Amino acid sequence: MSAAPLIALEGVRKTYAMGRAEVQALRGVDLAIGSGELVAIMGPSGSGKTTLLEILGCLSRPSAGRYQLEGRDVSQAEPDALAQLRGERIGFVFQSFNLLPRLTAAENVELPLLYRRVARAERRRRALAALAQVGLTERAAHLPAELSGGERQRVAIARALVNQPTLLLADEPTGNLDSRTGAEIMELLHGLHRGGRTVVIVTHDPAIGASADRCVTIRDGTIAADEPAP
Amino acid sequence: MSLLGILAEAWRTLASHRGRASMTLFGVVWGTAAVIFLTSWGAGVQTMVERGFFRSGRNLTQVWPGRVRAEFSPAVDRRFLWFTNDDVLALRRRARLPDRIAGESSAHRGISFRERMRTLDVRGVEPVLQEMRGVTIAAGRGLGPQDQLQRRRVALLGVDARTRLLGAAGGVGSWIRIEGKPFQVVGLLARVGTQLSRDSSALDEQVWVPLSTYQGFWPAPWTEETVVGRIVFRIPDRNRLLEAQHEVRAILAERLRVPPDDDEAVGMFSSVEMLNRLGSERFTAVLFVLAVTTLGIGGIGVLTLMLDAVHERRQEIGLRLALGARPRDVLRQFFLETLVITLGGGVLGVLLGVGACLVLARIPAPDLVPLPELSPRIVVVAIACMATIGLAAALAPARRAMAVDPSIALRQE
Repeated sequence: MSAAPLIALEGVRKTYAMGRAEVQALRGVDLAIGSGELVAIMGPSGSGKTTLLEILGCLSRPSAGRYQLEGRDVSQAEPDALAQLRGERIGFVFQSFNLLPRLTAAENVELPLLYRRVARAERRRRALAALAQVGLTERAAHLPAELSGGERQRVAIARALVNQPTLLLADEPTGNLDSRTGAEIMELLHGLHRGGRTVVIVTHDPAIGASADRCVTIRDGTIAADEPAP
Repeated sequence: MSLLGILAEAWRTLASHRGRASMTLFGVVWGTAAVIFLTSWGAGVQTMVERGFFRSGRNLTQVWPGRVRAEFSPAVDRRFLWFTNDDVLALRRRARLPDRIAGESSAHRGISFRERMRTLDVRGVEPVLQEMRGVTIAAGRGLGPQDQLQRRRVALLGVDARTRLLGAAGGVGSWIRIEGKPFQVVGLLARVGTQLSRDSSALDEQVWVPLSTYQGFWPAPWTEETVVGRIVFRIPDRNRLLEAQHEVRAILAERLRVPPDDDEAVGMFSSVEMLNRLGSERFTAVLFVLAVTTLGIGGIGVLTLMLDAVHERRQEIGLRLALGARPRDVLRQFFLETLVITLGGGVLGVLLGVGACLVLARIPAPDLVPLPELSPRIVVVAIACMATIGLAAALAPARRAMAVDPSIALRQE
């Protein structure tokens, strides 16, 4: 592992107010992920996996502790700065794809570029390149409803890649797919990892955990195990 | 987001709530149209009222003699006052604010034409009063200075007076007898129409003769002076009515030797005062407030529609935030979307309101029925109200959209 890891969490806590009660979703997480790693985060429902992913993805700030992304402390960054980090550094892949149904595959892929003020022609060029990367060039003009589940997730992955992010975050990327299609998507993610990209996958599926370089298990908001895959 | 994209999103929001959206838009359309239509109509009412009050002359004040207070003379029959020709002359010499002053005397008198006999309002007028009343001569000629100087026995007839007295048989040149005295009809007045303010009879029912002739035939029985029944004056500036009345009263009070603040001694009435007291500007203001309220209710409709749209699309908003949209990008998108919806309804409303005014204004209406009077100012005001309400309605949904937690993107159902 290089001297400065891509991601460094130190004593990260996240507390939610639920009515009068406070829920501690994360109770002091220390985690370092190096550039180019493929990490699976596992754990039962309610263990805090998704909260961890939220923080890694700059969707919310930790209540306490430090989060360094590429050596920069982002734990107290302002909303606009977080938005910029999400747009430039992070690509998200969601369990239920999260494509906008009214937009074509190419337009969905273009969305992140829209907020970076990329010119129209350049947006289209980059979107088509990203779609080519996931093998969907000929589906560019289709609406999500006209695509299969596997194809939709590929469009979502193309969207995550279009800004050339340093970190790819996937939340149960195969959760809504049959096992064969799921395997294809995992193959695609492994391919991206082999190409040098850092990939973090939150999953229930032990098979996915087993296929990763490293498997982090969360239980009750703390890291219960952090081991290289067998 | 491009403008086209915002238009498309606005259209989708409307299309996905078709029933509610059409009612909401109807509110904005109707409200905007109401602002234009009712304000125009109010302006029409104002003009109509003003025209009605000024039918017997613009900016006129009538002055009549009253009586002195009981402190000065206990005997009721000794307390009454009268004006004379000299009072009129003194006013002409001394009063600065009125630009025209005339004396007038009148009484209902029996008039005969051939076998026909009618009782009509006979008025002795100074020729200048014709100009002050704003009458036009339909046939023959008006009263001139020579008629007044030579006490000629000539008469002008109002439209209805002519019909009642002459019927179809007579016209200009006919001879009539007023209480037995022969007068020649030298002119006929054009129809004046409905008057909202009149002095004992409508102009159309009156018979006008030179004041000097009138005074010669029907002198006051109680004095040797040449009595004038009332004095009429005109002011060029309507806003200086009170000043002018004060000036005239002071001059007359001095001549009559009564205190200048005694309004029982010198009575005054002005249709200007009447017009101000009626407050048709206030009427228009009430209509305007009603219409703007309607528009405001339309704006509330848009507001709730968009708040619901934000709630329904929070997943999408979360996604956009996750993909790098800044909160202010989301704010702008929803702000513009709401504005586009309101402005769309508003443009339709402007067309509807302007159209309704134009169509109604073409309908031939009877005398003194108010028709909408559209002016560019009204359209500008309506657009400004609509835009203000649109901005206000856009604020809350946009702020709520901006406040969506981006982590909702991961926590979907």
